Amino acid sequence: MSSSKIDRRDFLRVLGISGAAATLAGCGNTSIESGAELVESFVQPEDFVVPGVGVYYASTCAQCGSGCGVMGRVREGRVLKLEGNPKSVISGGKICGLGQAAVQVHYNPDRLTKPMLREGDALKAVSWEKAMGVLTARLGSGSSLTGEQIAFLTGEVSGHQKVLLANFLESFGSTNHVVYDALSPAVGHEASKAVYGVEQPVLQIDKARLILSFGNDFLGTGPSPVHMAAQYARFRKAPRGTLIQVEPRMTLTGANADRWYAIRPGTEGVLALGIAHSLLQHPEYAHSISQELAAALKPYDKETVAEITGISADAIPHIASLLWEKSPSLVLSGPSAEGHVRGFSNATAIHLLNLILDNRGKTLQGQANHPFPQLSPVSGSYAALTRLNQAMSAGKCQALLIAGCNPAFTAPTFVPFASNMSKVPFKVAFTTQLDETARQCDLVLPLLSPLEDFGTHVAGYQPAGVELMIQQPLMEKLYPETKGFGDILVDLLKQRKPDAYKAFPDYYSYIKTAVLKAKPVFKSKESDDNFWEDALRNGVLDLDLPAAQIDAKVSAIKVGAPQAAETGMQYPFYFVPSVRADLRDGRHANLPWLQESPDPLTSVAWDSWVEIHPTTAVQMQIREGDVLEVQSTTGSVRAKAYLFPGIQPDTISMPLGQGHTGYGRYADGIGVNPFKILDPNFEEQTGELAMYATRVIIKKTGENAKMVKDEGPTTLQQGRKLVVTMAADQAELAKEITRVAQ
Amino acid sequence: MSLSNLIKNWSTLRVKRPYEDQYKDKDYKWAMVIDLDACTGCNACTTACYAENNLPVVGKEAFSKGQAMHWIRIERYWGEGDELPKFPDRGAQFLPMLCQQCESAPCEVVCPVGATHHTPDGLNSQVYNRCIGSRYCSANCPYKVRYFNWWQYPERAWPNPLEQQLNPDVTVRSKGVMEKCTFCVQRLVEAKNRARTEGRRVEDGEVTTACAQACPTSAITFGNLADSKSQVAKMWERQQVDLAKDKQEKSDENMRGYRIFEDLRTYPSIVYMERIRDLQA
Repeated sequence: MSSSKIDRRDFLRVLGISGAAATLAGCGNTSIESGAELVESFVQPEDFVVPGVGVYYASTCAQCGSGCGVMGRVREGRVLKLEGNPKSVISGGKICGLGQAAVQVHYNPDRLTKPMLREGDALKAVSWEKAMGVLTARLGSGSSLTGEQIAFLTGEVSGHQKVLLANFLESFGSTNHVVYDALSPAVGHEASKAVYGVEQPVLQIDKARLILSFGNDFLGTGPSPVHMAAQYARFRKAPRGTLIQVEPRMTLTGANADRWYAIRPGTEGVLALGIAHSLLQHPEYAHSISQELAAALKPYDKETVAEITGISADAIPHIASLLWEKSPSLVLSGPSAEGHVRGFSNATAIHLLNLILDNRGKTLQGQANHPFPQLSPVSGSYAALTRLNQAMSAGKCQALLIAGCNPAFTAPTFVPFASNMSKVPFKVAFTTQLDETARQCDLVLPLLSPLEDFGTHVAGYQPAGVELMIQQPLMEKLYPETKGFGDILVDLLKQRKPDAYKAFPDYYSYIKTAVLKAKPVFKSKESDDNFWEDALRNGVLDLDLPAAQIDAKVSAIKVGAPQAAETGMQYPFYFVPSVRADLRDGRHANLPWLQESPDPLTSVAWDSWVEIHPTTAVQMQIREGDVLEVQSTTGSVRAKAYLFPGIQPDTISMPLGQGHTGYGRYADGIGVNPFKILDPNFEEQTGELAMYATRVIIKKTGENAKMVKDEGPTTLQQGRKLVVTMAADQAELAKEITRVAQ
Repeated sequence: MSLSNLIKNWSTLRVKRPYEDQYKDKDYKWAMVIDLDACTGCNACTTACYAENNLPVVGKEAFSKGQAMHWIRIERYWGEGDELPKFPDRGAQFLPMLCQQCESAPCEVVCPVGATHHTPDGLNSQVYNRCIGSRYCSANCPYKVRYFNWWQYPERAWPNPLEQQLNPDVTVRSKGVMEKCTFCVQRLVEAKNRARTEGRRVEDGEVTTACAQACPTSAITFGNLADSKSQVAKMWERQQVDLAKDKQEKSDENMRGYRIFEDLRTYPSIVYMERIRDLQA
């Protein structure tokens, strides 16, 4: 280098970089000034980090229980964005809005950064040593708590966290792992188990030619919406399948139906039996069920069913003949059919249609029996919460540990969980951010965000074989005084069972050992190191297994006389809460992207609202924005009216998830919490909360306010040909070019 | 491109477009297809856009005034005509609406400072540091997909440490500036540079927009219309939509492709495919 001016090429030569490595820098382009060239530093701070270049690492989304494989884009040591992981069977390289917002859990300005310990009425920040000191004094080696005296309350949890949690409780001689889900699928699971022998059969949506769904929102809030959406895309390609949705309030799935029916809430089972009765008129199905059952269906003639359900009498044989014509079909039951006093029998009546139509083995299969049942989640229930609530009320519970759920917010008013918590002497919350429940605890431990932590997950719904998901940190932890949930459990177990856990310095070493133990299952010939590195690189460990058979226990289906839905003049409206795919039970209301993401059906953001059918609104002289008081026997809330045609006219609906009072700047003071006006109605077979069975009265308050919504002054296209619709028999999908495998 | 460049090349920049085979010998013409029968209205694309393009969250009050900055939004309609049906018994009508990257863009001709102009690869670009906030472009846009920064969002939309999520490849826009969908131009530039360094054209599928990448039903297809072998070019051809025509002559009436407001002669770069409904059901 004779000249003092060193150009880029010389610089590369000095560093011994040539050939393929040099092209990284984009040499050969014209100039930096023109903006055509990527400017990159040659000082590379760490392995795999190229300043200016985003690198993708595989991990697992923890926003819901679906267990989607994701890829995190990391640049300069910061995670910026998540994409779907194409290697994941569950996500198929796709991601939903809720998954996108996981980075806002991580970077949330209201993250908890230090342990908090109760001093009188307030929680005060303390050092981690102090916090662990308090925790181990109560629950360490010297603890004499046993059995029901200790309880671990969580949301749905799977993988090795679940195993460690159970081992921790076992060290107290306790099995008191209470799994609570405010949007519990328990009734549906019980009904499936009774009829098919399995809680969650695998739905082959893409193989169905007709789907008849009773309130099953598989595209929005079902068990694996991203996977279901990919299946739905194939279902809609040639030969295009038809979707019929029956529900009191239009869900996202209902909004995509070829035919949508508004049904009187709670009468879904009556309609299903009416369709079954109609199907039996076809010679093909006449002998599909016993004479006894066929006789029991006799009273379900179309006029009676129409009277009870509010569905026109002609629609019933029409649906039946479509089911007969388009085989194989798939009939689905969903939360709005199951969340009633007769929810279980509604669901079994719906499943009866699959048995008559012989869909078993075609569009409905059993999940493969996989070798990791101990890693599969226990599905949450309401019953679990009430049992814990009773134990707390009776003063039996001495120590309560809480992670991944917020019962102070989601428990109905008649389950005084929050006040009973005060009877528990020691309450510990594990969380990334203070919420209403954590604020009532004595000790709050700040967790790593899911993007900073290791973990394994096995989703409850496995669409094919089994997928063991690996979660790995996508960046260094943001806050030094945060810790992984698994790490805390390992620390505690080292106190409780030193001999069994002394080999594991941390949770990472524990899951690495555990996953390597499973290596023979995956028939891998790789060395341990390569197997583990592949697992981290791919983010998934897949095992192809044959689908299991499912049973057809017709005897589980009890058919009584047709019963009308209960009516009450004092509370004239059915109250159907709606679940938003992004906010769910309210646990995501702290994420600004999701608050600003309009509800797909109403376009409302940042608020709660009351959906009312336009004809009902006209009768009651209610206009959009009129503030209504919605009152049940349990309580009342106030929100603005939104005129919504996708609802049964005797029904009103409000979205769940808003109305927080202690969940950070983006959630607090936004909307109201309809969980608190749910009435104590219970499903008769399972004892679960009948979430869709509340009845209400609505009162005008005389106030009117502007809706916070995205849509303009009209909800109509007014002939502008914005969304053009073609009849299915005209479209020639087979001739089209598409990215979706047909 | 400097202002002197702009003035020098004025005649090529303000050419009447589009014309037949405009991009035939060009390397790139970015375009899109959105299948409305596959779109479920789930909002995955809109959130992905917030993450990729540093879109500010404006908050409840600004949102209620129509100041949301969603470059792509899902419009939802209940009827095609003027009458609200009693029940939406054929479901909702969802429309992902984003900048149509018009070839003859109404926004471009009214910009007094040349802040919005057409790029050689067929994008309707927005140069933030040239924009003076006249908002003429927004007034002239028939799709209403241009978004104005009424507030100094960098000061309030990303409280620490949310700003660490910002994509370093994308500018954070300040008060007084118009912005809109760019077809994720930062991804396109990176892919084009990589390809040019390797002496080739960007291959089909090598680059896509954030919305298309996220879409759980693969309803959005993005690609290079100048590459006749690309998926998007094949789809345009099969759907019998010609970029340079304002009335499509379809020999096959059963093909679903159409462009919105074609009669305004904006020549959009996005083809929508008609939603399908089984009317026998």
